[in-house]
Amino acid sequence: MAAGGRVRFNVGGQVFETTTTTLANAGRDSMLGALLDSSWNVSSSSPSGGGVAEYFIDRNPACFAVLLDLLRTGSLHVPPHLPEKLLYCEALYYGLLDHVRAARWGAFDGDRLRHAASVPGRAPGDGTAIRAAPDGGCCVAHGGAVRVYNWMLDERRPVSLDHSQVNDAVYLDAATLLIAARERLGKRDGGMAAFSAASGDLCHRFRVAHDRQVKSFTAGALAFDQDSRIFASCKGRLNEYGIGVWDRVTGEQADFFYEQPGCALGDADKLQWLDATNALMVATLFPKADNCFIGLLDFRAKNVVWSWSDAGAAASLDDKRVLHAIAMEDERSVCVINQYDDLGFLDLRSGAGGVRWSSRSKLMNRKVPGEESCYPKLATHGGQLFSSMNDSISVFSGPEYVLTSTLRRSHGGAICDFSIGGDRLFALHNEENVFDVWETPPPPII
Amino acid sequence: MSGGGPPRKRNFKIEAFKNRVELDPKYAERTWKVLEHAIHEIYNHNASGLSFEELYRSAYNMVLHKYGEKLYDGLQSTMTWRLKEISKSIEAAQGGLFLEELNAKWMDHNKALQMIRDILMYMDRTYVPTSHRTPVHELGLNLWRDHIIRSPMIHSRLVNTLLDLIKGERMGEVINRGLMRSITKMLMDLGPAVYQDDFEKLFLDVSASFYSVESQEFIECCDCGNYLKKAERRLNEEMERVSHYLDAGSEAKITSVVEKEMIANHMHRLVHMENSGLVNMLVDDRYEDLGRMYSLFRRVPDGLSTIRDVMTSYLRETGKQLVMDPESLKDPVEFVQRLLNEKDKHDKIISVAFGNDKTFQNALNSSFEYFINLNNRSPEFISLYVDDKLRKGLKGATEEDVEVIMDKVMMLFRYLQEKDVFEKYYKQHLAKRLLSGKTVSDDAERSMIVKLKTECGYQFTSKLEGMFTDMKTSQDTMQDFYAKKSEELGDGPTLDVHILTTGSWPTQPSPPCNLPTEILTVCEKFRAYYLGTHNGRRLTWQTNMGTADIKATFGKGQKHELNVSTYQMCVLMLFNNADGLTYKDIERDTEIPASDLKRCLQSLACVKGKNVLRKEPMSKDISEDDTFYFNDKFTSKLVKVKIGTVVAQKESEPEKQETRQRVEEDRKPQIEAAIVRIMKSRRVLDHNSIVAEVTKQLQARFLPNPVVIKKRIESLIEREFLERDKVDRKLYRYLA
Repeated sequence: MAAGGRVRFNVGGQVFETTTTTLANAGRDSMLGALLDSSWNVSSSSPSGGGVAEYFIDRNPACFAVLLDLLRTGSLHVPPHLPEKLLYCEALYYGLLDHVRAARWGAFDGDRLRHAASVPGRAPGDGTAIRAAPDGGCCVAHGGAVRVYNWMLDERRPVSLDHSQVNDAVYLDAATLLIAARERLGKRDGGMAAFSAASGDLCHRFRVAHDRQVKSFTAGALAFDQDSRIFASCKGRLNEYGIGVWDRVTGEQADFFYEQPGCALGDADKLQWLDATNALMVATLFPKADNCFIGLLDFRAKNVVWSWSDAGAAASLDDKRVLHAIAMEDERSVCVINQYDDLGFLDLRSGAGGVRWSSRSKLMNRKVPGEESCYPKLATHGGQLFSSMNDSISVFSGPEYVLTSTLRRSHGGAICDFSIGGDRLFALHNEENVFDVWETPPPPII
Repeated sequence: MSGGGPPRKRNFKIEAFKNRVELDPKYAERTWKVLEHAIHEIYNHNASGLSFEELYRSAYNMVLHKYGEKLYDGLQSTMTWRLKEISKSIEAAQGGLFLEELNAKWMDHNKALQMIRDILMYMDRTYVPTSHRTPVHELGLNLWRDHIIRSPMIHSRLVNTLLDLIKGERMGEVINRGLMRSITKMLMDLGPAVYQDDFEKLFLDVSASFYSVESQEFIECCDCGNYLKKAERRLNEEMERVSHYLDAGSEAKITSVVEKEMIANHMHRLVHMENSGLVNMLVDDRYEDLGRMYSLFRRVPDGLSTIRDVMTSYLRETGKQLVMDPESLKDPVEFVQRLLNEKDKHDKIISVAFGNDKTFQNALNSSFEYFINLNNRSPEFISLYVDDKLRKGLKGATEEDVEVIMDKVMMLFRYLQEKDVFEKYYKQHLAKRLLSGKTVSDDAERSMIVKLKTECGYQFTSKLEGMFTDMKTSQDTMQDFYAKKSEELGDGPTLDVHILTTGSWPTQPSPPCNLPTEILTVCEKFRAYYLGTHNGRRLTWQTNMGTADIKATFGKGQKHELNVSTYQMCVLMLFNNADGLTYKDIERDTEIPASDLKRCLQSLACVKGKNVLRKEPMSKDISEDDTFYFNDKFTSKLVKVKIGTVVAQKESEPEKQETRQRVEEDRKPQIEAAIVRIMKSRRVLDHNSIVAEVTKQLQARFLPNPVVIKKRIESLIEREFLERDKVDRKLYRYLA
């Protein structure tokens, strides 16, 4: 290696000098790391003696300058004239794409989000769901296809389900996408399958068997736990309703929790694994079901350990109906939202009590009659609570969940779904399937 | 890439560009040749002439221009070809050099693989994941596995070499552990499945047969202790082997093989081995061997229960012998001492060798419970032991020692089923100790009672405590009596009265004897005094329980102080007025019950050194025709002479029967009370349930006999506490 740790690069005719310490930031698993590795420099070190080693690289010098600065300072500064895509290509060449991704935006903070991009959709019809990938990419499900985007927001090959209706999608990891689809009459095509997020290819189809007979089914909501289990709400042909459980490693069915009277499971809108409680939250909500039901399933004891239902409580259409629910991160309560965008809480530690509706309603309710609206959705992240209403997303913080931020863009119409992951927030708009990407800028220099 | 010809129309330019990229089919071939050459050079240790940047760019270009598949396939076939060459050179290696050669080539391959991966890094990042190919590094390992490790010429040779070396090491040879470490690490690097399928499984099989043979040899020629030592050493060796050159995951597997072959398969034979098995170890207190057996057997299923079962049956057998041995019944103190020694011995074994295992402690306890209750005199003997200890045994012993002994006794007490019998005896013995003033330490007595109280509750000891209170009040009363009445009493004999509450003490009604007039006077005075201070009480003299100190002057003028019982005093006082008296005279004058009188005369006339009376005719036994004389020639070195009564310390057979009977009588109301309690709350119950419940309730005191319970139920039916159900005769109803 060069004396004094100095290294000289000639990149596309432009000479750069840097140190091995700076280059060490690239890591051994990058092109620059391999270039300087001793196994490739057996001869060059000894004859050049005390001189500075020089390497020629046939690449774009402008991009190299940006990437070298990234290695030097850890932050990314892209000159206005430099196309982002070109920089990404160059970063991929050097094996530094992960570095660029890490420097591109900061750790997620709901109160510091800025609008980073709007990606126009092309699919006709309403989008069903948007899901954030752990690496900053996302996927949009609409109709019979799932469009997949990487974190650079380049569209990959879509996952095609041969026009089966997609009910839910979830990223098992950055490379694997789990999709639940509706079964069509006469075709044994519904169910649940894992697809490669990179290529869109089918990886594994999950089966349900009752009495050792494989049955076709419609998969609804999806969830998975920390260890290796995947859960899906299932509707079979012959009233085989319930929650299916599969082993993520083997792909085989591990369990099936059959629906009991009074707890609608097979039609669930949302499943959520609660790690500390070691239970699965199942929420079957209006308008899919006339009566809302939220319950916690314990798979070891095979019973419903906690449940709430509004059966018998709601008389008219004007009554507050629970439209979406999410278990809070401390697993002490479930947050719910109604058609007036009121937030309410259910206590998980006590027996089934009523919903404590917060009193902030009406004031916030900006619903214009006649305007197309969407059902509200909820999400939590890092102690903050997010709820979508019409064309904006509200951020609530602190132990009392006070409104601290509102995210709104002028076009695209109402938000039908949103998702947080990979330090980004994706919001899918009702009109034309355009989705917005919100991210937190890197921390300020001082 | 220079542009094509000058475009005439704008949209044509784009098409021209597109075609341009797809042209030049030779480009890919040419580039691949360069890369292929580089791969060969890397394997040939000739990489210094290669330019990394150029190779990287070439691979990048191939992937960029959609030749990723060609690049990947080319890599695969080139590497396969190289590995086949390598496999030939490894096959050619002779004997001991085989492993060295394999290891050296493996190092080379790893190094080469790293460099190839460097060149093809771009392909690894882009082409491989989207086309579901195996990443380069993994591919290199898989190829090595398939073409080297699993090649028919190498596979069995490799495994056999490894197994031979391990066998050699087991036989005491020194092998190159570093090399072994490298080879097993290589197998692990190729994936845990390779290590397990291609090596570990065979290793375990071979080990199993090795240890099966070896353990058979050992068991034929070694005693149990030695065998266990060898097994332990083998076990440690295997664990050491794993830590030196096998994967850590193998430890549990190989140890379980050794455990199964060397321990589990021979467990019963080892435990029952003649002259050296478990029983011999227990007898000889071989803590080290026992500890080894415990720690080894603990590793195998049913190991500990095997030890425990043998220990239990041994304990029961020896215990049974101990308590049924007619020899040991002769001396109760010795009997209990032997029980305690037995307990101490096994407690120590359990704590030293068996790691204070709770299940072993339970087995010990249940064994003791079993055999102690085989002998129905155990309660009596334990009480006698305490009596002995509190009487004299503890002289000079510190308070802690007393506590230790008492705690041990309590342990035995806990095993007793008939705790009420013990109570009965304890009361008798305590009464004797208190009244004769023989108790050594009041603290020790009280501490014993506290222990009984914590064990059995207040009820059990309330009467015992009452006895202590009586002693204290008696003392106060006597002081008061003498303080107030001393002038009145003059020079008469000093009286010391113990006022015993009826019921607290084990008194038997016995007719009072005729006291000498001097004594009688004082007694009457005391009675007047006592009844004067306490209203509504009745005093009955228990002359059979008292003692007296009398001064006697013998023939040559020598004076002695005689310590005698009240009866003896009465007899001796008669001789103040007469030289010789017949048995009949004495009996008439004193009115002492015949059996007591005989005993009392025997002690006065027949014990050598204490014969203050002379009997005619001389014989050992007292008969009704004997005549007694004052023995003028009595001498003794001591001024104070204690004349004991001839009493059997241990109960005689009829006394035993009597005590038994009294215990049975006492149990009746207790059983009835329990039945009534139960029926009062349950109203209706069948016979078997009542028996079960009564047994449960009374367990702390004694084990009631079902026949007795049945009798009590019948008695209660007669007295109309209960009735039989009219339909189901097995059911009883409670009548309020």
